[in-house]
Amino acid sequence: METSRQGRWLQVVLPASGVAVGVLLITGPFLATVLRSIAVWDGEAVRLSLDNFIRLLGDPRFATAALNTLIAGGCTTVLAMTLGFTLAWLVARTDMPGRSWFETGNLIPFFLSPYVGALSWIYLLAPHGGLLPWVARTYLGIKLDWLNIYSIPGVIWVLTLFYTPYVYLFVIGPLRQMDAAFEDAARVHGASFGYTMRHITLPLVLPALLSAALIVFVTSAGLFDVPLALGSPRGIRFMPTEIFSLVQYPSDFGRAAAFGMVVLTLTVLLTMLQRRFIANRRFDTITGKGYRPRLIHLRRGARIAALTLEAFYVGGAVVLPTMALLMVAFSKLWMGHFMWKSATTGNFEYVLTKYDLTRTAIGNSLFLAVTGATLGVGLAVLQAYYLTRGNPRRRGLVDALLSLPLGIPGIILGLGFLIIGLRTPLYSTLTIILIAYIARFFPFATRTVTAMFLAINPELEQSARASGASWLQTMRLVVLPLLKPSLVAAWLMLFVIFIRELGATILLYAQGTETISVAMVILSERSSGYVAALAVVQLVMLLLAFATFRLTRTSIAQG
Amino acid sequence: MSFVDIAHLTKRFGGHTAVNEVSFQVPQGSTLALLGPSGCGKTTILRCLAGLETPDGGRIEIGGKTVFDRASATDLMPEKRELGIVFQSYAVWPHMTVAENVAFPLKVRGVGAKERLAKASAMLETVGLKGFENRSATLVSGGQQQRIALARALVHEPRLVLFDEALSNLDAALREHMRLELRLLQERLGFTAIYVTHDQAEAFGLADTVVLMNQGRIETAGPARAVFARPATGFVARFFGLNVLEARMIGPVAGTDQVEVALNEQFTLRGIAGDGLDMTKGKPVLACVRKESVRAGTSPLPGSLPGTIEAVSFQGVAEEYIVAVHGISLRAIQPAAGFRRGDAVHVGMTPEDWIVLP
Repeated sequence: METSRQGRWLQVVLPASGVAVGVLLITGPFLATVLRSIAVWDGEAVRLSLDNFIRLLGDPRFATAALNTLIAGGCTTVLAMTLGFTLAWLVARTDMPGRSWFETGNLIPFFLSPYVGALSWIYLLAPHGGLLPWVARTYLGIKLDWLNIYSIPGVIWVLTLFYTPYVYLFVIGPLRQMDAAFEDAARVHGASFGYTMRHITLPLVLPALLSAALIVFVTSAGLFDVPLALGSPRGIRFMPTEIFSLVQYPSDFGRAAAFGMVVLTLTVLLTMLQRRFIANRRFDTITGKGYRPRLIHLRRGARIAALTLEAFYVGGAVVLPTMALLMVAFSKLWMGHFMWKSATTGNFEYVLTKYDLTRTAIGNSLFLAVTGATLGVGLAVLQAYYLTRGNPRRRGLVDALLSLPLGIPGIILGLGFLIIGLRTPLYSTLTIILIAYIARFFPFATRTVTAMFLAINPELEQSARASGASWLQTMRLVVLPLLKPSLVAAWLMLFVIFIRELGATILLYAQGTETISVAMVILSERSSGYVAALAVVQLVMLLLAFATFRLTRTSIAQG
Repeated sequence: MSFVDIAHLTKRFGGHTAVNEVSFQVPQGSTLALLGPSGCGKTTILRCLAGLETPDGGRIEIGGKTVFDRASATDLMPEKRELGIVFQSYAVWPHMTVAENVAFPLKVRGVGAKERLAKASAMLETVGLKGFENRSATLVSGGQQQRIALARALVHEPRLVLFDEALSNLDAALREHMRLELRLLQERLGFTAIYVTHDQAEAFGLADTVVLMNQGRIETAGPARAVFARPATGFVARFFGLNVLEARMIGPVAGTDQVEVALNEQFTLRGIAGDGLDMTKGKPVLACVRKESVRAGTSPLPGSLPGTIEAVSFQGVAEEYIVAVHGISLRAIQPAAGFRRGDAVHVGMTPEDWIVLP
C-alpha cells in the first residue's frame, strides 16, 4: 500500500516539478525585467514610474535602432521565405540532380554560428581587404569595392543565409506529405503549372509558411550576433546591440529593461497571434489518404537555374565562409587573400595551448554545452510527460507558457538574469549562464520530446503497468528507450545551440567564465587570425554534432 | 465511333513495367471500367490518359485529338486535354469554399464571376448539394466531398470524365446509392466515363464495358455481362470468386461443346470448353464453377454426388459452405440451410455450370 502511494506521488510530482521549473525559469527574468523597467531610484527610495519608458521612447537612438531592426527583420523574413520555400520545393518535388546532398547541405547553416558567419563574410566582403573583391579585381578585372558588408543590407544578407533553413524545415514536410491529388485535380481541370502553384500549392502550405515567417521575424530581429559583427563597427544601431551598450559602462539598466519590455511585449503578442490564428489551421487536411506527389521533371534550363540557386545558397552560407575562415585561420597576417608563404598553424597553437582566455573559453563552452544539454533534456522529458500524459485540462495553457522563450531574444533573457543575479552570489558564475541557457532554449527540447511522446501509444505503458512494473520502472524500461531517438536529437540540438550562444552570454560572462563566442568577440579587436582559429575549433564541434545528428537520424529511419 | 482510343500504351517505373502494350477503345457516351487487383496498372492508365504520367510508348487519342503519341513526341499538358477527374481522396481544396471548388474549372477558363457562380450552383443542385455554396469545403462529410468533387469534374462540361477509385472511400450504402445516381447523371449529361476500381460490383454497376487488368496487361475485356458470365482465364475466374480447381483433360464429349476432365482418380466431371482449350488427353486444365452453382442438399438428385460439410460461415440470408466431394473442397453459397460441420450431403452440379479453361 505504502509503496503504491509513493509511486503515484512520484508520477504526479516529478512531471509537475519539471513544468514548475520551466515556469520559474521564464517568469523569473520576466518579472525582474518588468520591475526593473518601472522602478526608479531617488537616492535610497524606490518608486514606481514610467520614466524609463518615457526617456526611451523620446530617444532618437531608440527610434533608429527599432527602425533598423524592423527593416532587417522584415527583409530577412521575406528573403528567407522565398529562398527557403524554393529550396524546399526543389528538394521535395523535383528531380533536381544531387537532391539528397542538397537536402543535407541546405540544413548545415542551421547548425552553424551566425557570429562566425558574419565574421567570415567580413573576411569575404570587407570594403578594404575582402577576399571576394580581391578575386574579382585580380582575376576578372571587376571592381566590387562598392559592396560593403558593414551595412543594413550586409546584416540582412547574413541573417537570410542563417534563417533560410527555418523556413525550409517548416515547409518541406507539408510539401512532401501533401496529397498530390490537390495539384493534379487543378491541372486536369484546366489550370496551368504556374496557376496551380499560386492558387493551390502555395495556399496549402501557407499556414506552415506563415508560422515560419513569424519565427524567422522574431528570432532574426532579436539576434545579437550579426548586428554586433556588422552594425556596431560602423555605428549602425540595432535593438540587440543597443540593449548591450545600455548595459555597458556607464550602464542604464532601467532604460535597458524598458527596451527589453517593449521587445518582450511585441514578441509575446506576435507569438500569441501565431498560436491563435496560424497554428490552429489544420495541417492534416492537406495530407492523408491520397498519394505522394510524383517528382516534377526539370528541363535543362530549369535544372541549371535550380543548381545555380543551390550553389548560390550552399556556397554563400557554407562553402565560401568556411573557406575564408580556414584561410584566415592559417594565415600569419590576413591581407585579404591567402598567401602560401605566410601560411602557419601558429594561430591554432596559440588558441589551443598558449592563451589562457581561449583555453578557458573552450573548456567553459564544452562544460556549458554538455551539462546544459543534459539538464535541458531531463527537464524536457518531465515536461513532455506532463504535456502528453498529465492532466489534460491545463495542458493548453502550460504548453503556451512553456513555448514563450522560443521567440524571446537571448539578450533580453540574459538581461533578466543579469538583473536577478547582480546582487547575488550567482553573479559572474558559470551557473547563471547555465541557467540562462536552459531557460532560453529548453522549449526546443520539450517540443522534440513531446512530438515523440505523442507517437508512442499509451497502451505500451499501460501494458507495462499491468504486467506489474512500477511507474519508475515503466519510465526506465519502456518509455525512455522508446524516446531515445528524440532524446539524442534534442541533446545534440541543445549542444549545438549552447556551443555557439552569444546573445545571453555576452551580458552574463565575467573574467574566467568566458565562452568560445565571447572570446571571439573579445579577440576580434586584436587579431583576426586568433578569432578565425577559435572559430574553426567551434566549427569542428558544431559539424561533429551535425554529423552525429544526421547519422543517428539515418539509422533510426532505416531501423 | 470510338471517343477514346488507346493503342499500345506502355509505362515503366524503373525496371517495373506498370502498363504493358495496352490497347482499347471507348465509344462516345459509354462507360468503361478498368478493373483489377491493386498494382495491376489500372490507375496508371488513367493517369496517362489525364496527362499526369508520361507513358513510355504508345498513343492516346481523345475525341479525335491525339493527346499523346510517342512516335511524334506529342504530349499534351493535363490542362489541355479538356477532362474532368474525381480522385479517391476527392482532393476538395480545403482553402476554398464549396462554390469556389466547383467553379474552379470555369475560373481558369476565364468565365466571368457571375456566370461561373450560376453554373456552379446549378451543378451543385444536380449532385444534390443545393445551398452548400458558401460552406467551407473541409466542414462537409465524406459523401458530400465526393459530390463536390463530382460537380467540379462536370461543371465545365468535359466530354470525358475519369474516376479514380472514386467511390471506394464511401460506406457501402452510400456507395450503392452513388452508383445508381452516377449512372443516371451520365445518361442525362452524355459524357464518356472511365472508372478505375478494384470492386467488381462497382465495375458491373457502372460500366457498359469492363476491362480486367492483371500485371500491366489486359486479361479480358468486353461487355460487363459477357465478361462475368464466361470467365476467359483462370485469373478472371479467381478474381470473380469462382471455385478454380486443377484438373486433367480426358477428352471432348462427342456432339456437345463440353469436355470431360478428372479432378482426381474418383472425381470426373463435364464442363463447357473455354476458348483456346487444348483437348489432348492428360493436359493440365482448370475446372471452374461459381459458388452459387454448387448446391448442397439432403436428398439425392439426378447426377448429384455425396459430400461432407467441412466448414460453415453464416452470412445472414445466405450461408457459405466448404463441402468435400471425393476429397476435393468446393465452396458453395446458397440460402441458409442450417448444415453443420460433418453433415453428409448430396452435392448437385450441372455440366453447364462448369467451365474448363486452359
